[in-house]
Amino acid sequence: MTTDPRILLVDDEQSIQKAVGPLLRSRGYQVDVAGTGADALKLFAERTPDLIVLDLGLPDIQGTEVCRRIRSESKVPIVVLSARGAEADKVNALDLGADDYVTKPFGPEELLARIRVALRRVRSDEDAQTGHFQAGDLTIDYDRRRVLVRDAEIRLTPKEFELLSLLARNHDRVLTHRAILRAVWGPNAVEQPEHLWTLVAQLRRKIEPDPAKPRYLVSEPWVGYRLTTAEPGAAT
Amino acid sequence: MSRVRSDLWHLAAGLGGVALVTLFFTRWLPISNAAIVATSFLLVVLLVAATSRLAVAIATSIGAMLSLNFFFLPPVGTFTIADPQNWVALFAFLTVSLVASNLSAVARARTREAVGRRDELARLFDLSRDILSMSDSREAMTTLARAVARRFDLEFVAIALPTGGTWDVVEAGGRRVTLEPRQLSDAFAKAQSSYEFDAYARTYAGHEELEIDGRRVRLVPLRVGTRPVGLLAATGRPIEPGTLDTLAGVVAIAIERAQFLEERKASDLTRQSEALKSALLASLAHDLRTPLTTIRVAAANLRTGPLSDDARIEQSDLILAEAERLTRLFENILAMAGIDAGAVPAEPRWTHPSEIIEAARAQVEHTIRQHRVEVSVDQDVPVRLDPRLTATATAYLLENAAKYAPAGSVIEIRARVHAAGLDLAVRDHGPGIAAADLPHLFERFYRGASAKPGVSGTGMGLAIARGLLAVEQGRVWAENCSDGGAMFTIAVPAATKVSPVALSPAT
Repeated sequence: MTTDPRILLVDDEQSIQKAVGPLLRSRGYQVDVAGTGADALKLFAERTPDLIVLDLGLPDIQGTEVCRRIRSESKVPIVVLSARGAEADKVNALDLGADDYVTKPFGPEELLARIRVALRRVRSDEDAQTGHFQAGDLTIDYDRRRVLVRDAEIRLTPKEFELLSLLARNHDRVLTHRAILRAVWGPNAVEQPEHLWTLVAQLRRKIEPDPAKPRYLVSEPWVGYRLTTAEPGAAT
Repeated sequence: MSRVRSDLWHLAAGLGGVALVTLFFTRWLPISNAAIVATSFLLVVLLVAATSRLAVAIATSIGAMLSLNFFFLPPVGTFTIADPQNWVALFAFLTVSLVASNLSAVARARTREAVGRRDELARLFDLSRDILSMSDSREAMTTLARAVARRFDLEFVAIALPTGGTWDVVEAGGRRVTLEPRQLSDAFAKAQSSYEFDAYARTYAGHEELEIDGRRVRLVPLRVGTRPVGLLAATGRPIEPGTLDTLAGVVAIAIERAQFLEERKASDLTRQSEALKSALLASLAHDLRTPLTTIRVAAANLRTGPLSDDARIEQSDLILAEAERLTRLFENILAMAGIDAGAVPAEPRWTHPSEIIEAARAQVEHTIRQHRVEVSVDQDVPVRLDPRLTATATAYLLENAAKYAPAGSVIEIRARVHAAGLDLAVRDHGPGIAAADLPHLFERFYRGASAKPGVSGTGMGLAIARGLLAVEQGRVWAENCSDGGAMFTIAVPAATKVSPVALSPAT
């Protein structure tokens, strides 16, 4: 790590800017602040931030549109700030390439944890072309299509393996139901979430220490699933 | 009356024609050939038959026959006939003229009927057009009855709809006829039990003719499909039963349409109020969420790590400001609930306009800090009103002005006391009010369609101002000033101690 990560904070509420800006700076991040979508796109081009915290309710350009435009140019992680009850916006933003979301009103640790995870993921992506995935007791060998839980190999159906490796390759990221359905079953299946529920339940029985309280394959209600690499009990 | 007169005229013309023919053939062109004379007479009779009624034609025929007998059949000058052949000729003439008259009368009746049909068809068409342009209001039934009365030139039209045991009757036309519910129920019961049409006898099931107040009132069932939904009563011009039945069908469709429109409007209203509720919820949620997030984050900032004094003050200011924002929101909700519950009493007392303005400014001190407020009081004399309500309403206007006018601009407050009360104007130098927003400005939860981005609000302030003023019979309205900016004016009726000198028009 040569320099401190640079974060672009996009929110039109001054009070949020004034509170969240200092919060991020106090944790060692460099912070740029934008109050509009146009400013956000400008600052994104000028400063090439390492991560973007993006409020969806912007006065000029729709937050989801900002998300789409940035994603068309760069893989920079985007954490979306959204309103509770605006699940549709949230899902939309995730489908357009956002990495994660925090629901307002959020606590500071919630936001910081999401930022940490998103930054870590980028870094691990950069040096992780090993063909292996490792989180806790769970090991995936992509090349040999093998999955180990507590050093014991478990047998997965092709679909189960496909789902698990999809989530693992995007670990710590929320994948929306639609995105998963499209990737695993194809575009015709996006309106049939029951496939997904069944498969997730099967997979959890095989890989989770306690399928009733999933540790890896975490559900994001109404939005999607994520494979989390954080140790249980750690602040995420 | 006019009909008898016209018959008499036709008869006179017919007999005149007979006399003329008689004179012509006896004086100017003496001819003894009875056949030629008879043909000429026949011409007159046919002309009369073609323009008048059968009776007139027959009377003319008899006149012509007598004239033929008297002047032309020998012995001339008497009603006696010598030659039996002439009896045959005379009889043949009479028969031909009678048959011709009859044929002509029948043809005329057909024509009249066709014209009547066309006329009624035109009326039905006009009525249908009226119905299509009819709205869904509660007045629809009245409009419908009026349209029927007007289009069919009827003295009285009533549309009766059964409503749980009683009858809902809408009347139109110049005459008043009292319909007994019992009669309506009987007719309706008959219409329900039978639906037949006797084409030969031209009777329609359920058609009733009643004698009410010396008028013949016709009752026709209004049917949707075959199911009767009500009754149509009509009196005045006689209408052919078939037309009446069609008319009833059109009216029934119109009623169904009006009811359908009304239902749709009701469901539209429900949907609108649902939309309003969710808009309010979204807006409230936004207004709650931002301060809560800010307070949580700022409080955490204060706790963690060493902060410079400036940073510490900034973070605690942030918490205070957001707490005030939440408080204000809460007060608004409470005020609104209070107005709704009628729990806000007016407590009038003698007060000065300057006092009210001062109180209003104090209430929104925080919000208007970045604007220059200029106050002018025309005549600071006591007025008797509820200072609390008036000041709070004024405060909402100030808050609104501060929200929309740019920071640093001037907000003017002008008070004027006159004999009938107090006028208070708040004028800003902002962008003014969009024309589309003007009519809805004081509606609850209305947010300007072109509301400035970044201006937060729940659309409660102005509605509350209006509600508070209404408690003391006051009014508030808004307008755009010709030289830019918006002006909101409050007018509260009140007793004043204004001096007579100041009654001259204010500048």
